[in-house]
Parts: sequence; C-alpha cells; structure tokens
Amino acid sequence: MAISIAESLHIGLADITTRKVRSAATIFGIILGVISILVVLAILNGMNASTLSWMEERGGTNKVEVHRNWNYDFSKGGEANLTLAEVEEIRQMLPEAVAFNSQVMLYSHNELKYRGLSYYSNVAGVLPDYLQVENWGVSEGRFISDLDVRESSNVIVLGSSAARDLLGGKDAVGKKIALGGNVLEVIGILNEKNWEKMQGGSFGGNMLEYMNQQSFIPISTAINRYDNTMKVSSLQVTAESPNHALKLQKKLNQILLNLKGGRELFRVSSAQEGIMTMQANARIFSLIFILISAISLLVAGIVIMNIMLASIKERTREIGVRIAVGARRIDIFFQFMIQTVLITTLGGVIGIGLGLLILDKISAYLEMEMIADFRIMISSVLVSVMVGLIFGIMPAIRAGNLDPVDALREE
Amino acid sequence: MEIIRTEALIKDYELGKVKVRALDGIDISINSGEFVAIMGPSGSGKSTLMHIIGCLDSPSQGEYYLDSVLVSKMSKSALAGVRNSKIGFVFQSFNLLPHLNILKNVELPMMYGGLSASKRKEKAREILEGVGLADRLRHKPGELSGGERQRVAISRAIANDPSILLADEPTGNLDSQAGGDILEIFDRLHKEGNTIIMVTHDPLVAARAQRIIRIKDGMIDNGDLDS
Repeated sequence: MAISIAESLHIGLADITTRKVRSAATIFGIILGVISILVVLAILNGMNASTLSWMEERGGTNKVEVHRNWNYDFSKGGEANLTLAEVEEIRQMLPEAVAFNSQVMLYSHNELKYRGLSYYSNVAGVLPDYLQVENWGVSEGRFISDLDVRESSNVIVLGSSAARDLLGGKDAVGKKIALGGNVLEVIGILNEKNWEKMQGGSFGGNMLEYMNQQSFIPISTAINRYDNTMKVSSLQVTAESPNHALKLQKKLNQILLNLKGGRELFRVSSAQEGIMTMQANARIFSLIFILISAISLLVAGIVIMNIMLASIKERTREIGVRIAVGARRIDIFFQFMIQTVLITTLGGVIGIGLGLLILDKISAYLEMEMIADFRIMISSVLVSVMVGLIFGIMPAIRAGNLDPVDALREE
Repeated sequence: MEIIRTEALIKDYELGKVKVRALDGIDISINSGEFVAIMGPSGSGKSTLMHIIGCLDSPSQGEYYLDSVLVSKMSKSALAGVRNSKIGFVFQSFNLLPHLNILKNVELPMMYGGLSASKRKEKAREILEGVGLADRLRHKPGELSGGERQRVAISRAIANDPSILLADEPTGNLDSQAGGDILEIFDRLHKEGNTIIMVTHDPLVAARAQRIIRIKDGMIDNGDLDS
C-alpha cells in the first residue's frame, strides 16, 4: 500500500515548485554552507597538490637533507660543517642510501666569464649523485662523473638560465669558461626547473628559477682548486622509499650527533616528514574550517527545520485530507522528509555551482591554488543530503503523527 | 447484507482533567446499498460517530465492524488501508488540495492505493467526465465554483470504489441550486448501489435518505425506526 519513492519524490518536487519563494529562502543558508565547505576542501586539496609537486620537483618524497641547525646556539662552540673525511665516514655508514650527495658552496667565486661576458652564478661543489637527489637531469652533455671527482677535473655543468645568458644556449657543451682564474670546460646543461605556486598562474612566477641560475663543479675541484679551507655544509640523501627515508633520517641524525659529540649542529629533515607535518597542519586547518562550515550548516539546518515546521503547520489540513483518503503515517513522513532532502540537496548543488564560479576569484585573491575535484563535489552534496536528513526528520515525524480528526478541523 | 455494525460504541475525550463522553453506547446497523442520514444538534456526538465510522478515530470501548471486519481494534496503518479502499469522504468545506489540479485531486486516493499513474489518470478523468467536469481537468480548485468543487470532492470519494460514502454536511457551503445538484449526484450514486451515510442539519436533505439516525447526547434518539 505504501506509495513509491518515485511518487514521494514527485510530491516533494511539486511542493517545492509551488512554493518557490519559501524554498529559495530555505535554501539560502545551505548554499552558503556548501560554498564554504567546497572552498575549504578545494584549498586543502590545492595545498596538498602544490606541496607534493614542490616536493617532487625538489627531489621527491624519498629525500633526506642535512643543513645547518639555525636553532643551535653556535656561541657554545662547534661548527655546522663536515670535512670530506667525515662525509666519507657517514657515507660508509649509510649503505642503504640510493643516492648520496655532499655539497659545498663556492662563496668566494661567483663570476662566470666567457668572451667578455659575465654571469653571476652560485657555484656549488657536488657529487655525481646530486642529479638524482634533486630529481634533475641534463638536457645536453653529461653531469659530473666519479672520475671528475677523483681527478678534481676542471669541468662545470650549467643551469639552463646560466647557459642561455652566458653562452646563448647554443652548442654550449665543450666551451671553455673562466671562473676565478681557472678555466673550466662546460660538460653539460641541466634541464629547466620550473615550479609555480599556481599552475598557469602568475604569482611569483617560477619559484625554482634560482636553481636554473646555478652552476655545478665537482666538490673536489671546489676544494682543491679554489678554497681548501671549505667544508661540507649540506648533505642530500635519497632513500629507497618514503618509509626508508624516515628511518634514514633518524639514523643520520644519530650519526651526526655521535660525530659532533652530541651537539645538535645539524638539522636533518626529510621530505616525508615535511609532508607529514603539512598533513597534520592541514588537518588542523581543515578541522577549524570544517567546524566553521558545520556551524553555518547547523544554522542553515535549524532554519530549514523551522521553515518546515511552519510549513507543516500551515498545511495541517492538507495532511488531514491526505490521511483521510488513505495516506499512512509513513507516507506523510516520507513526503516531508523527501521534500526537505530535495531542498537541501538542491541547495548543495547550487552551492557547488556558485562555489566553482567564485573559486577562481578566491584563489586569485588568496594566491592559493584550489582544486575542486569530483570527490569534493560528491562530499559537498552528501553533506547537504545529511543536513536534510538530520533536520528534516523532526518536522516529518511531527507531520506523520498528526491526528487526522484534529488536522481536518484546522482552519 | 450488513455493511456497518457498531456495538455499544463509547468515545471519551480528556479535556484537561475532565473526561467528556462524546458517544455513550451507540448500536447501529447499516446495510449495503442503504442511504442513511445522521442528524443531531451540534455537540450531539454525530461528528465523532462519523469519524469513527470513517476510521479516522477509534472508539474508547465497543466494537465496530465494517464489511464484517472488526476495525475498532486495528492499528493506525491498517486503518489507513481501510480508509483508502473502503471509505470515501465528502466534506462540507470540500477539502481539496489547492495546489493540485482537480485531476490530481481525484487521483490522490488511487495514488495512495498504489494504482499506476496512467491507470489512475484514466480513471480520474472518467469519473470527472461523469460529473460534468471534463473541460476543467487542469483547473485548480480555486478556479471552480463551490458546486463544482464539491463534485470534484465526490469524484475523489468514489475513486477507489469504496464500500461506503461518508458525507458531512455536503451541501452546507452551497447555495440551494448547487446543493440540489450535489444531492442529485448522491441520489444517482445511491441508485447505482452505493452505500451513503450523510451527516446533516437540514431536514430537507435528510428527507432524501431512506432512514434517519438521530443522535442526542451521544446516544441514539430514535434507533432503527424507519422514517
């Protein structure tokens, strides 16, 4: 005897279309709530995606790095650097590392010269594995080899911008350039690194351009041919997997502490840890904003509930008539339940539409990448359905429980 | 064949702490195909009786058999089924749903009865044509005269071919011309074999019935005497 869901849907839809103004008023709150949820989820999504792409561009999630610990009070003694012998010792203790690089920065010399042209470039002394730990590659020629390191060869690899600006970018490999009194042969050009805060956006442009302006020589060349007082200030290690990276990070930290008599001169970080920190931050961030959205949806829900209650009061006689001609309580219950859920769902869909329309503007204003994918839209719709279910149930029960005799007497 | 039998029906209402007895031992018997009028002053309990006969309400005590089925002890949802299939209501104030066109209004009981959309539409159209409203099917009740509205209400009442038609002052809101037309329809339905129970104040209306049951102070005044 029960009327079908399709029938109830039909009644619900008819109810909404005959009461457009009321439905619109009811819907307003839910639209706002859903827009805010959509925007928040899109921000989180965007943050995630942009951090991951940044990590990927900077060497992937398997990377572990050692830098000077800026939180350490260096007046207590100790220096945040390593001799080549210490580096070698560390390397021996990390057989699980897939790639291992140690780096010195050639602060004393930064002017590259070629046929009267000058180009100022940060020159780093590195190991062959540098290419791998940075997820980088050469576009022309080759990178520094083990032989280059062993022999302290006078060779240099240029970043794409350095090569273009100094050598015009053409047939750069094989050319000889001068750096601080030494003549170095260009053996390779690196691929262009490109990462923008927003895909296709214009905020800040390529944030990795500084890497394209760098140039690289063997670490041994830097020390032996330029400045033999230089020490290694940073290490980059690639592990087998993100999990291995976390283990390697701990181990490396312990090795450095042992090496430096327990002083925390270095900070060991891993991309994986960074991601985890970011995700933890994102969780807090999202909790706060989802709470705000939830409050707005709660308010919207209460408004909806009250409008439905008023609507049911106004339609008491109609309900009485329906009961008189054979509607069961459950039929009346479903009629109003479905109507409420239809309204909130419609609000959700409109909210998503409007949210998508304004997302670009918000994104431009906040200078944040926002990605509203299908999953987010589904979640937003589900949330609005839930609001309908939660706040529709009480009015619908009340409607279903109306006494037909009283209901028919109602004016 | 007996279609309605009540045995010692009692209905009490609680008004605050006071118990009010609206019906005080009603025994009636109505046969299939009868046209019965129920008369009585306001407050006599005739509306309460009507609600119980119409399965909108249940008695506090006593038994009510409809079509030989004891309905006074049925659950609310079972009563909904009984109302839907066995009872057709016609109200003084029509009680049509204002947002639905008259075709949809007439379809309503058939919808709750589970009839398919196409079948109920066809049947509603047929019934409305029978009461002379063929050209008004898409009109809303507000666009019709009182007499026309009551014809829609009657059409709705008979849509599921009920066992009894319950009419509560069906001409109370109509002028004498329209009221007469409505009574003609009831006469016709009666001749076609329908059982009609009509609550009325109006002796001229009651005179159309085969039998009058008078209610006073919740009791039957002149019982089963033929009028």
